[in-house]
Amino acid sequence: MTDRIRAMKDFQWERKHHAARIQLDRNMKLPYRDANLPDYTRTALRLKLALDMESPFLFPNELIAFTRTVPALPLIFDEKEWADIKAAHFIHEMGNISNLSPDYGTIIQSGLLVLKEQLTGSEYHKAIAASIDAVLSLTARYEAAARENGNVALADVLKKVPAHGASSFREALQSLRILHYAMWCEGDYHNTLGRFDQYMLPYLEKDLQSGAETEESAFELLEAFFLSCNRDSDLYPGMQQGDNGQSMVLGGMTVDGKDGFNLLSKMCLKASGELRLIDPKINLRVSKDTPLWVYEMGTQLTKLGLGFPQYENDDIAIPALMKLGYAEEDARNYAMAACWEFIIPARGMEIPNIGALPFANSVDSVIREKLLSCENMEMLKAAIKEDIFARVKETLAERKNLYFIPSPYLSLFFDGCLKNEKDISLGNKYNNWGLHGTGVAAAADMLAAVEHTVFQGETAKETLLSAMEKNFEGYAPLQDRLKNHCPKMGNDDDRADRYASWLLSTFADAVNGHKNERGGIVRAGTGSAMYYIFHANELGATADGREKGVPLPANYAPSLNIRLNGPVSLIKSFTKPDLARTINGGPLTIEFSESVFTQAESITKVAQLVQLFIQLGGHQLQLNTVNRDRLLDAQAHPENYRNLIVRVWGWSGYFVELDKCYQDHIIRRAELLV
Amino acid sequence: MKTGIVFDIKEFAVFDGPGIRTTVFMKGCPLRCQWCHNPEGLSPKPQLMVSKAACIHCGACQKACPHPDRCAACGACIPYCRGGLRKICGVSWLDSDLAHRLIKDRDVYTASGGGVTFSGGEPLMQWEFVSSVIDHLPGIHTAIETSGYAPDAVFEDAIQRCDLILMDWKVSDPALHRRYTGVDQAPIRRHLKMLSQSDTPFYLRMPIIPGVNDNKEHFETAAQLVAKAKNLVRVDILPYQRAAGAKYGMVGKTYQPDFPEDKPPAIFTESFDQLNIPYQVFK
Repeated sequence: MTDRIRAMKDFQWERKHHAARIQLDRNMKLPYRDANLPDYTRTALRLKLALDMESPFLFPNELIAFTRTVPALPLIFDEKEWADIKAAHFIHEMGNISNLSPDYGTIIQSGLLVLKEQLTGSEYHKAIAASIDAVLSLTARYEAAARENGNVALADVLKKVPAHGASSFREALQSLRILHYAMWCEGDYHNTLGRFDQYMLPYLEKDLQSGAETEESAFELLEAFFLSCNRDSDLYPGMQQGDNGQSMVLGGMTVDGKDGFNLLSKMCLKASGELRLIDPKINLRVSKDTPLWVYEMGTQLTKLGLGFPQYENDDIAIPALMKLGYAEEDARNYAMAACWEFIIPARGMEIPNIGALPFANSVDSVIREKLLSCENMEMLKAAIKEDIFARVKETLAERKNLYFIPSPYLSLFFDGCLKNEKDISLGNKYNNWGLHGTGVAAAADMLAAVEHTVFQGETAKETLLSAMEKNFEGYAPLQDRLKNHCPKMGNDDDRADRYASWLLSTFADAVNGHKNERGGIVRAGTGSAMYYIFHANELGATADGREKGVPLPANYAPSLNIRLNGPVSLIKSFTKPDLARTINGGPLTIEFSESVFTQAESITKVAQLVQLFIQLGGHQLQLNTVNRDRLLDAQAHPENYRNLIVRVWGWSGYFVELDKCYQDHIIRRAELLV
Repeated sequence: MKTGIVFDIKEFAVFDGPGIRTTVFMKGCPLRCQWCHNPEGLSPKPQLMVSKAACIHCGACQKACPHPDRCAACGACIPYCRGGLRKICGVSWLDSDLAHRLIKDRDVYTASGGGVTFSGGEPLMQWEFVSSVIDHLPGIHTAIETSGYAPDAVFEDAIQRCDLILMDWKVSDPALHRRYTGVDQAPIRRHLKMLSQSDTPFYLRMPIIPGVNDNKEHFETAAQLVAKAKNLVRVDILPYQRAAGAKYGMVGKTYQPDFPEDKPPAIFTESFDQLNIPYQVFK
């Protein structure tokens, strides 16, 4: 790390740039709130207002500029208007476009002005033109500020991009920063940085070849860009701080079938390890051909406790996406949404998190309602299958008549939106939806426990149900049997694992054939997002011996209250299901104790473990390094742990900034660690 | 068919040899090293372990106990502890069953250059069983982690059968050795010599305890003992960790070291450097 970067990081860490932040004037005139204006025009005018309110703020020795000074956005609609829209439509999350992978590369290369030339005088195109003008106007003010500051190099870069195409690595990074910054100001959120190492590589290579940059100077620029991603991250909306979708994807197969892991991928891994900040979050695409040293580089980040990289397996994901109907070139080009959903850059207006199937709740409710009338496991499974199908159907039936706030600026980054005058909010080439599947391991454990007690004649059905009803009060030996002596998913025990395979394939069957109102399909997944907290709260004591109140695991992970054999068995268990069928995403999570890494050889060993997961056909893996004592101390003394980074469900955040229920869950997970 | 008492099986044991390994902890040890951090490995018999820190003293375990006068390690109390704080440490395994449990991960051992390690306790104390398990693991890399304290024939057999030996060198001074480990050093010294002259690769592991063996002479003696061993892979220097006493309360013992455990032990690696002996100091 250079002195310049260190100084910039310190400046940022001390939040000195927060001094420039101004409060939004709640009584401000909002000219776009005009009933006669189309919604997309409102968005464009609001973007203009937001960017016009910004005043340039430059860090000392600024390399990659643009910092938010107005922390909030006024709303597009007034309360009444929004209530009317909500009454008539299904609104996903906040109603803004989120979780997409925009095509930055094309615009970095062409510049915004070229796009302006393609605009007709239509109302929609006027909205786009106004958006572009607003972005360029703020850029011009930044340029003037830089020049006034004597930062000529920066001023010259800003004079060129993003109006014109970038011709250097620095220009490309600056252009990306501005383009991405403006998305937040449009009100869009969690739109990822996508395949950064693919679309930025040509600029890096050109500069290295011409001698305009050395690897060291380019690395400094890259670190400056990474830093810029963290300047405003406390302002971004999310369930919890850190949940902001600023992730990037490194490596993986290129559109033309080559290995995409390159010099820039390596530099990104290195920069992330040096800076140790929560953004950008790193996804690493790998395959059976990925050499061990790439995993070792990734493991160096794991060791730092950043909670990333998260690994995706091309061998599973690409064929699985093609099977779902994605074109080969698009499947090869997949990126990750904010957490772990597989999405397609430039061509997807997908909603990979439109709902969730709670496996544990489904199995639990069927056990409670139907166990007495079931004579064997097959009858119980049939009832569960019916319940899963019904839940999927019901969830999808509720998601009708969607409305998204249009985003004419963001639409520039998606194929055909400009030409067809069709806003991205209305759809694109791919309009698929995804459902998470939470708590599958707990559900499998319940089924295994019922089989090995009730259906082996050991426990009466009534006894089990009454024990669950009483939260095992007075049923200690039965609870012990269920919890500690029945097969568990995660121990490489087919007697439990086969239920997980069955549940997941039943879920895939249940979504199969559903078409959403935009003509897209519905994908099944293994993720949880924040649903793991909600779904656990709805449960009483369960047949796997879990007491009421014990949380469910996040994502695709074993139950939290059981004894596990270890990571090898864990990986073997969790790679048994046909994960290509649940390719909406959701990683297996493994927690390591910091002490694993006290020996240098451990880097290789952990890397080998990741490689094992990929070779056994796992789809997605995420590893955490934690120290339980430190987490407990951080909960008690947050002031001492401002930079303690933890993985939450699909993203990393600062531990002390999380709500207590999430902190508690992370501490609980740490009790299961390797 | 042989049976042995195992107190833990740990997958991905990163400190017990090369590659991804599973370590089997055999119960029972003839030594009584003052700094032992696995007190549950000392007795050869199964025993009850209780985590007392989180106990709320609800009394349910006492009500369930059929042997209130003397614990018979029957485990009857275990289900009644709502905190899950009780367990029986020490499970009897059949050799073929344990081999079956280990062999399932053959693919992982092979791909990573790893294998199976038998630790303890002292694995040579149950050598008949351990060697039989090893016989059931053809083609799998096997290691033992041993104090070296065993009958000569057993030690010799272990060198023959295992692919790797992790052997401790605890205290160089014979009198201090007896005082701090409870046993005679002579057979250990003899076995280290035997090992050094064999073809079986080995690691020498040196726990460094403040005030006991953190002196130059100890490091020099160790270096001399292995200087000529072509089959030495590395010397692991393991400085004493304060957490060593953590589990004593759980087996009804008190941890009473008579050395200054707060003092970081001194490390002298010069003699290894001079003799070109590879070594690693653990954190």
